[in-house]
Formats: sequence, C-alpha cells, structure tokens
Amino acid sequence: MNPPDPDLAAAELKAMQDSIYREKILRARRQTPEERLADVFELTNTVFTRMHEGAMWQAGITDETEGWEIVRKRLARLRLVHDAGRFASHPPAAV
Amino acid sequence: MTIEQLAAAVLDACEKESVDHMLTGAFAHGLYGIPRSTKDVDVVLSLASGDPIDRVVRRLAGVVQFEEQVQFDTLTWGKRLVGESTAQPPFKVELFELFDDPFVQSQFNRRRRIFSTQIQRETWLPAPEDVVVQKLRWGRSKDLDDARDVLAVQGPETLDMTYIEHWCAIHGTLPRLRDALAGIPPLD
Repeated sequence: MNPPDPDLAAAELKAMQDSIYREKILRARRQTPEERLADVFELTNTVFTRMHEGAMWQAGITDETEGWEIVRKRLARLRLVHDAGRFASHPPAAV
Repeated sequence: MTIEQLAAAVLDACEKESVDHMLTGAFAHGLYGIPRSTKDVDVVLSLASGDPIDRVVRRLAGVVQFEEQVQFDTLTWGKRLVGESTAQPPFKVELFELFDDPFVQSQFNRRRRIFSTQIQRETWLPAPEDVVVQKLRWGRSKDLDDARDVLAVQGPETLDMTYIEHWCAIHGTLPRLRDALAGIPPLD
C-alpha cells in the first residue's frame, strides 16, 4: 500500500476547515446583531457551567465552592499565558 | 450570577456615576462576528468625568473585588484595572481608561448605542470597523481570528474599508488585514 500523499491530505483538511468555517459565517450572517450578542451571554454561562462540572468530576468532589476554586485557579493560569508580556505594572518613564 | 447580570451591574455603575463608557471585548466581537464565550466584561471608561475608575470601582463594591494595582497595556500604555465577581462563577471585569491615543479616541467617538434584551438596557458598543482595527492592532492569535470573523460576517463590501486601511497603515498592520481577508473562504 502506498503511503498517503501529504499534499492531498493537507488539501482535504483545508477544504474541511473552510467548510466548517463557512457554515459558522453563514449562520452568524443569518442572525441579527442582537441575536449574536445574546449568544455570547448564553455561550459564556454554558461554558462556565461545563468547566465547573468538569472540574468537580475530575477532582472527584461534590463541594461546589471547591469546584469553583479549581476553575478560578485554572483561569488564573490561562490568564498568565494569554497576558504574558502584554501588561506591565508601570508605564515607561517617558509616557 | 450570570454574565449578563454582571454586565448589567457594571453598566449600571457607569450610568449612576455619569461615566461615559463603551462595552468592548467579546461582546463587541460577538455583535458583529461569530459569537463565542468570554471570561470577562470589558468596559472602556471616559476620563471626561474625572477619576472614572475609582468611582465605578466604589459603586461596584460588594459585587466585584478589584485588584489594588492598575496595569498598563504595553502596546499603547493604556491603563487597566482588573476585578473579579464576588459571586460565582469567577467572571472577571476589566476597566480600561480612555486615553489620548488617536485611534482609541476615534473608536470611542464612533461608538453606537444598542439595546440588549439579555441585560435589558441600551449599551454603547464600538462600530465594526473599530473592532477590526483594534483586534488587528493587538494581534494575538485570538484577536486575528476575531478580526477575520468580523470581516467575514459583515462582509468587506458593507464596511468602511478606507477607514480600516487608514488605521492599519498607521499601526503597521496592513499585512495582518490582508491575511485576515485572505482567510475568508468562498461563501457561495
């Protein structure tokens, strides 16, 4: 059996990515701005609920406060990564 | 607490303190692009009313616990103060002071008032062109995706591309703009 053609595989992957992205764009275009804004609220609340449930399941705990503390720590770590080099505690002297 | 309850509390604090403001971040992107979740409520505050951050922070006491130390964005040296909701989930609130960067001023002056059913009030949000310019300027991977999303969903033909290109030229981000436009797949 011949090994898969990497160029063909890359082209197929790109076509699939474009197709998924195109569907997202077209769905967003069918929504009103207010509906899109509403989705941000709904997605955010859902994602936090799932993060909380996932943290509790992973840690094998039933205490909700403890679960939120795990979520808080994970988000703090993510924030360090995302904000790395982007913020300083003092402006340069010339500013 | 839901993210809309927190957003409403922050916007209420701005209104009660008569601080001109503008909701930004994922809410601005979601309005014009492909909605995604967020971890925070980002608001730009006008300096016109004097010490806006202090006043809004005081008004939010009990709802949001703010850090003591302000931070400065290393791209523009704008001031930011971060807080966290006292109720669960641990949503963040980021207050940005409006400063005299020409683009930031232009963005604030072009903001639009939009009604949100979820927070049951009108709020100020940036124009789509300004979301694109801002995201391309910040230039993190997520920001570049956000800029492309707004261009794709709105369609360049409906946007003031001359305005976008003007600011991108000043910020040196025209190559990022070209990449974002090239990343939009054929939609037919």
